[in-house]
Amino acid sequence: MEFIAFVIAIAVAFQAMKGYKFSKERTLLYLNLSFVLIGTGLLVDGLSNLFVLLARGERGSLYVYGLGNTINFLAQLLAYGLLVFAYLYQTKNMGTTIALAAVPVSFIQHNAFSELILIFLLVYVATQTAMNYSVNKNVNALLVFGAFASLAVAHLFFLLFTLAPVFFPLAHIAQLFGFLLLLAMLLRVNQPV
Amino acid sequence: MHVIQRENNEAKPTRILYGANLSHDRLIKYLEELKALGVIQETGMDDKIYSLTQKGIEFLNDFRKVESFASAFGFKI
Repeated sequence: MEFIAFVIAIAVAFQAMKGYKFSKERTLLYLNLSFVLIGTGLLVDGLSNLFVLLARGERGSLYVYGLGNTINFLAQLLAYGLLVFAYLYQTKNMGTTIALAAVPVSFIQHNAFSELILIFLLVYVATQTAMNYSVNKNVNALLVFGAFASLAVAHLFFLLFTLAPVFFPLAHIAQLFGFLLLLAMLLRVNQPV
Repeated sequence: MHVIQRENNEAKPTRILYGANLSHDRLIKYLEELKALGVIQETGMDDKIYSLTQKGIEFLNDFRKVESFASAFGFKI
């Protein structure tokens, strides 16, 4: 599932880069960087999971799994932090921007608290996209809102996984669903006129 | 360019003037710039009529895609 999400994340990054080259709009550059980070994190996580499967639990494979998981987490923290920065940059809200810039650096260790920070960032982004949909009322905005809401739910499930194992597959399903919504948006945007 | 496309790819200066809500001087300036970029061309024998070139049509399509993508995330271009 991580590999599918990786491909979609890179496709979004590519579209954002095309948009940035066309319009020179900086927010699109931040969007590109954000999804490159997300894609990279997912690829590393997917490869580490594959390694563990192939190694059949041999010594050292769990370390690789943990490392992959941590890299993915850090990448997503940076990515969503950058996305929040992009929204704040658009509103020229520099005070909050500077304060938020410190957040990803402060919580390098992947634990429940830092996962909560990630969820907070995702909820902020989802709220921004919800407000965008309430103004624009177009299907693409709804798809993007749905995507980030699903990703926020996915990370909530990742957090709850420590309480009940059933949340682990649910988290992956929610994450994949979120990326599939982004794919639907990309396909709609690139429809021939 | 949107105005020209809306008028079935043939628009007189007056139509563009009102459609784009521009002053006469600005209109002339922008039309010359767009002609220099090769995205519009002047057609018509007696009356001046402007139409989009193939490059202009492609540019407009690309712009719409970028605008659609950016606005899906709530970003303005």
